[in-house]
Amino acid sequence: MYVVGAILIWLAIKKEYEPMLLLPIGFGAILVNLPLSVVWEHEGSAGFLKVLYDGGIANELFPILIFIAVGAMIDFGPLFKNPFMIFFGAAAQFGIFATMIIATLLGFDLKQAASIGIIGAADGPTAIYVANKFAKDLLGPISVAAYSYMALVPLIQPPVIKLLTSKKERRIHMVYHESGVPKWLKISFPIVVTMISGFVAPISVPLVGSLMFGNLIRESGVLERLSQTAQNELAYLITLLLGITIGSSMRADKFLNVNTLMILGMGLVAFVFDTAGGVLFAKMINLFLPHDKKINPMIGACGISAFPMSGRVIQKMAAEEEKGNIILMHAIGSNVSGQLGSIIAGGMVLALVPLLVG
Amino acid sequence: MDSLMYNLKNASTTVQALAVTAGGLIGVFATLAAFFLIIWLSVKLGGKKA
Repeated sequence: MYVVGAILIWLAIKKEYEPMLLLPIGFGAILVNLPLSVVWEHEGSAGFLKVLYDGGIANELFPILIFIAVGAMIDFGPLFKNPFMIFFGAAAQFGIFATMIIATLLGFDLKQAASIGIIGAADGPTAIYVANKFAKDLLGPISVAAYSYMALVPLIQPPVIKLLTSKKERRIHMVYHESGVPKWLKISFPIVVTMISGFVAPISVPLVGSLMFGNLIRESGVLERLSQTAQNELAYLITLLLGITIGSSMRADKFLNVNTLMILGMGLVAFVFDTAGGVLFAKMINLFLPHDKKINPMIGACGISAFPMSGRVIQKMAAEEEKGNIILMHAIGSNVSGQLGSIIAGGMVLALVPLLVG
Repeated sequence: MDSLMYNLKNASTTVQALAVTAGGLIGVFATLAAFFLIIWLSVKLGGKKA
C-alpha cells in the first residue's frame, strides 16, 4: 500500500492529476497502513482518521458539504441559453448503467455493481455517497477510480469521440445566440429543481438539495460573501479532509485484491460508455435536424459531470479540427447538465436498487 | 405491477441490473425533460431580462 500511496502522490505532483484529492488520498493510504495503524484505532481508542471517517464519510456529511461548494461554483447561464443541451446530461449517464450490468456479469452483487457503475457519474461526491450507502468495503477503490479517471478525461474522451465521429461531423459549427437570462429564473431554478427531484426520487434530495442550496446562495445576489466562502474556504477545507479520510479507507486487507483491479478497469469502461452514450445520442438527434441546425456530436460527450474539464477538452478538439470553430458555450451548457444528470442518476440508483434487493 | 416486482426480485442479478438501467435512464431523461420544459417556458414566457 505504500507503493500505491506513493504512486497517487506522484500522479498528483508530477502529472497534476486531481492533486487536491490524489495527494491527500495517497498520504492517507500510507498513514493508515503504518504499523499498529494508530491513526485509525489503537488500544480501543479511535484515531483521528477514524474520527474524521465516522464524522464525515460514514454519515455522508463531507460529500454533501462538497455539493454546497460545487453548487456555488456552477453558473447555469449557458444551459438557460441552450436548454436542449440538458438532454446530453442524461444521455452521458449511460456509462453508469452499462458498467453496472458488466459488474453483475463479473460476479458483483447488485448493490456493489451499482456503486461501481456510479464511477461513471464522473462525480466524486456522488460516487462516495452511493458507495457509502451500498458498498462500504469498496469505498476506497471506487473513490480512487472516480477521481483518477476524472483527471484523465483529456486522455479518455478524444480517442472515443474520434472513433465514433467523422472529421466532417467534428467540424460542424453551432450558432450561439447571446441573450440575457431573467434573474428570477436563475433564482427559482434551484428551488424548483430541488422540489421536482424531491417528488421524483426523494432519496436524491440530500444530493440535489445541497447542490441547489449552494447555487441559490450564488444566484441570490445578496450573499456574495457566503457564496465566496462556499466556493473557496468550504471547498478547500472539505476537499482536504475528504481526501485524507478516503485514503484511510484503503487498508491493505481491503484494497489489495482482484476486486480493486476490476473496479479500476470498470471505471475506465464507465467513462468510455458515458462518452459514447453522449456522442451517439447527439448523432441520433442529428438524424432529425435540418442541415443548418445540426449539432456537433462532440457536444454530447460533455454531458458527463467532469466540469469544466470536459467542456474545455471538446472546445480544444473543435479548434484543432477547424481553426475558429467555437462551440465552448454549447459544451459548457452540456457539461453543467451533466452535473444535474449525474446526481439525478445517483438518486435513481439509490431509489431503484433497494426496491429489488432490499 | 406486483407480479413484475415479484419476478424481478427473484430474477438473476444481471436481469435486475437491466431493470435498474431501464428505470434509471427513463427516470433521468424524464426528470431532465421536466427541467428542460421549465427553462424553455420560462425563457419563452418570462421575457424580462436581467
